[in-house]
Amino acid sequence: MKERHTLLEKEGTKSVLASLISIIIGLLVGSILILVVGAFSDNLGLGSAWEGIRLVFFGIFSTGRNAAGALTWGFNPQSIGNMLFRATPLILTGLSVAVAFKTGLFNIGAPGQYLMGTLATLAIALGIPSTALPGPLLWLLAFLGGILAGALWGCIPGLVKAFLNINEVLACIMTNWIAANLVTWFFDVNKMFQNTVENTKTSYIYKTAYGRTFVDGAWTYVDGNGVSTAKLGLDKLFPGSQVNAGILIAILFAILVYILMTKTTLGYELKACGANRHAARYAGVNDKRNIVLSMAIAGALSGAGAALYYLSGNTEFFWSTYQALPATGFNGIPVALLAANNPIAVIFTGIFMSMLNIVGLQLTKLTAYNEYITDVIISVIVYLSAFSLVIKMLLTSRRKHREAAAPAAVPPAEPAAPPVEPAESLTESAPPAEMPPVEAPPAEAPDAAAEKGGEQA
Amino acid sequence: MRTMAAENIIEMLHITKEFPGIIANDDITLQLRRGEIHALLGENGAGKSTLMSVLFGLYQPEKGVIKKNGQEVKINDPNDATALGIGMVHQHFKLIEVFTVLDNIILGAETTKAGFLQKKEARKKVEALSQRYGLKVDLDAKVEDITVGMQQRVEILKMLYRDNEILIFDEPTAVLTPQEIDELMDTMREFAKEGKSILFISHKLNEIMAVADRVTVLRKGKYIGTVDTKDTDKQSLSNMMVGRPVQLEVTKAPAQPGEPILEVKDFTVPSKAHKKNAVNNVSFQARAGEILCIAGIDGNGQTELVYGLTGLEKSSGGTVTLCGRDISHASIRHRGEQMSHIPEDRHKHGLVLDFTLEQNLVLQRFRESRFQHMGFIDQRAVREYAEGLIEQYDVRSGQGPVTRARSMSGGNQQKAIIAREVDREKPLIVAVQPTRGLDVGAIEYIHSQLVAERDKGKAVLLVSLELDEVMSLSDRILVMYEGEIVGELDPKETTVQELGLYMAGAKRMDMSRKEGEGA
Repeated sequence: MKERHTLLEKEGTKSVLASLISIIIGLLVGSILILVVGAFSDNLGLGSAWEGIRLVFFGIFSTGRNAAGALTWGFNPQSIGNMLFRATPLILTGLSVAVAFKTGLFNIGAPGQYLMGTLATLAIALGIPSTALPGPLLWLLAFLGGILAGALWGCIPGLVKAFLNINEVLACIMTNWIAANLVTWFFDVNKMFQNTVENTKTSYIYKTAYGRTFVDGAWTYVDGNGVSTAKLGLDKLFPGSQVNAGILIAILFAILVYILMTKTTLGYELKACGANRHAARYAGVNDKRNIVLSMAIAGALSGAGAALYYLSGNTEFFWSTYQALPATGFNGIPVALLAANNPIAVIFTGIFMSMLNIVGLQLTKLTAYNEYITDVIISVIVYLSAFSLVIKMLLTSRRKHREAAAPAAVPPAEPAAPPVEPAESLTESAPPAEMPPVEAPPAEAPDAAAEKGGEQA
Repeated sequence: MRTMAAENIIEMLHITKEFPGIIANDDITLQLRRGEIHALLGENGAGKSTLMSVLFGLYQPEKGVIKKNGQEVKINDPNDATALGIGMVHQHFKLIEVFTVLDNIILGAETTKAGFLQKKEARKKVEALSQRYGLKVDLDAKVEDITVGMQQRVEILKMLYRDNEILIFDEPTAVLTPQEIDELMDTMREFAKEGKSILFISHKLNEIMAVADRVTVLRKGKYIGTVDTKDTDKQSLSNMMVGRPVQLEVTKAPAQPGEPILEVKDFTVPSKAHKKNAVNNVSFQARAGEILCIAGIDGNGQTELVYGLTGLEKSSGGTVTLCGRDISHASIRHRGEQMSHIPEDRHKHGLVLDFTLEQNLVLQRFRESRFQHMGFIDQRAVREYAEGLIEQYDVRSGQGPVTRARSMSGGNQQKAIIAREVDREKPLIVAVQPTRGLDVGAIEYIHSQLVAERDKGKAVLLVSLELDEVMSLSDRILVMYEGEIVGELDPKETTVQELGLYMAGAKRMDMSRKEGEGA
């Protein structure tokens, strides 16, 4: 009864296909850009353009240049390790956005939640003397602190939405900037966190590998005394890279979110609220509580992303953030969109987005192009990821067209797709139904209108 | 009787229209004579709307021809239809709410001079038409501010303004009061007398018998036949429509009311639209073993009353006692422990359309220990329960429990809701327009379910706009008008006309004494 669709007709397949098409179009647009820039640039030329294009597609497998100056390819443990390291926070912000989406909320507040998570994590990891607590405990405390701070920050738009019915997008944008200024203020005031050991740098906070230590009657920071995420042998697998166990934690979180959303009563309630808040209320679900809870979970995930990124021990935080929000927060949106909000798929799209990052670095290192080309590619993919719904719809309608053109090709047992839908339901998928689907379209339109009428009443 | 009675103005011959997997119209022939009122009768999904959409140019048929005055014509879009003099009043009006009535009427057929609107001329023409046919409208009012009845008159004027001679009415009476329905019937007869031809889509047999000259019956996309109304009756028409003998009247034993289940005292619910209370000082009791019906024209506070009782909206005064417990301020979930609710709007409240059927069937019950352990949903228990309900209540769908609710037909969506709510076995069932938009077969089924629940000793609070339903199903009728209960009637003793007068506010009882009838 269930397995009547071919693989191609499954919703999941369509989502994956739509995302892949977005990605490929994005990469192609990037290639065209590289070609154009190369052709019109004196120091690049078409030869470099060809190299650039190959790097855009396969840069993760680039191993540099050989003696003859040609690009060499192969397994590059450093690139792959760094890709996984950078994917860690992206997966978590992606999950953050995806969870909120499932509840019908657009969490554009991930950057703010990420910043607040950063603040709490660093304040705990660097504020508590490393001699006061065993390292792993301090690490855990900082990690949980980041999660909690993100959750609390996420609650604000949630509360405002639930009780004052103020659009969460507006509240999120505002709380983002509040967070940005709050963080700058905090580190500006608390000078002790500012990195003075490596005095070539300004506006950087100590890496968490530096521990607060009492030396010669004064508190100071000593490298190696602090906390950093365990490597669990991953550094042996990918030598020369920054990878650590954070990626495993991110994957674990993705699985936990998947279980939460698909197997538990809480997930059921959250999804019901997202899919139809009225019906959820009707069924006795506390919609206000669920909105706040959903934003809290979303915030917690963003906070966890920040915590894992900065607890690595080898990442530094540029604290003067009041003019710019962290891209990792915003990039959670395309990560979630490309994954069609599926928590498991977020793992892969997060890794993909961080791969583009690595590709950008390779491009800069190996050619005269700069990494911003990959930013353009990322932006194109971001735009197209929003289109992935449209692409999915096109995939669906193309199939319908074929069926309409050749009705004989449809086996009699095949469930019939509902007739052409009215325009307003274009973005909805059209699941097949065996029952003659009510009346033809005009009969469906009244239902939509009836819904409208109901709201007015 | 009519001079040109035999002349066919529109002929739709052997029309076949297919959608992927379904033949919506299968070789259907419809001949409309000049100056006749021709009813098109059929259940939901019979293909009436598709056929009319073909005539109005919204769809192209795969086979068949359309002739006007014997000449074959091609109707590619609604503009072609308008050019041929075909106009349509859709079931759900196609009006722009923030435009004035006049603007709506002339929209798309504006008279202009050098690109500037000539509203004065248009106004004159509309006023003349409005007077001639007694179609009273306020030309300068915004559509959002006028009544549904007036909106319909605006739609009719739109057709007249375009000099249409073939008028299609798609279920025009669904939103009207009995009195307004009578007026509409008169207007339709007037049009027919002048030689305009009317196609009247309906599944209400009373109206068809009252106004139509001939009836064409469709069933499951197929042409069943065309009969003169004077040669037929309601029972045989409904048999043609459904394909089997149908019980038109609800059969039920006399009610045996027991203990009061629901007691409402001085209940008040504020309105969202205006300052007045939507429900004002309403008091009544619903007893075990009776079907109590709240009748009234749409928008007189019935919706708000139900929202207030079920907790979807906050009340501002009075008390509600359910099974002896004061639930005036209880949460929806708390109230749901003693009450089933078949909601008015099945898409807004009744179902999560993007959920599967089985998920929808446990919408309230997923928290019960039967369906979850430690917060994890027991998928197998849900599946088994859903399969049981689907079988017991004959809910049909493409893929059984895992069908998306969105892809199910309206009748089966409603059946799913009824199954869910009835199976919860609560002492009170609040059913709001449980049969709206459903066909005769489904209505028959739902009515019998509600009667069965009544006979099990439950209190059924029915809110209905359908007079037939009110009269045949209820044991006691309360009429709501402008947020107040203006009459309590016994369906065995009252008439539709009398009920109509109460509904229109022309008559009211002094409810504090429940006797005597004021003007």
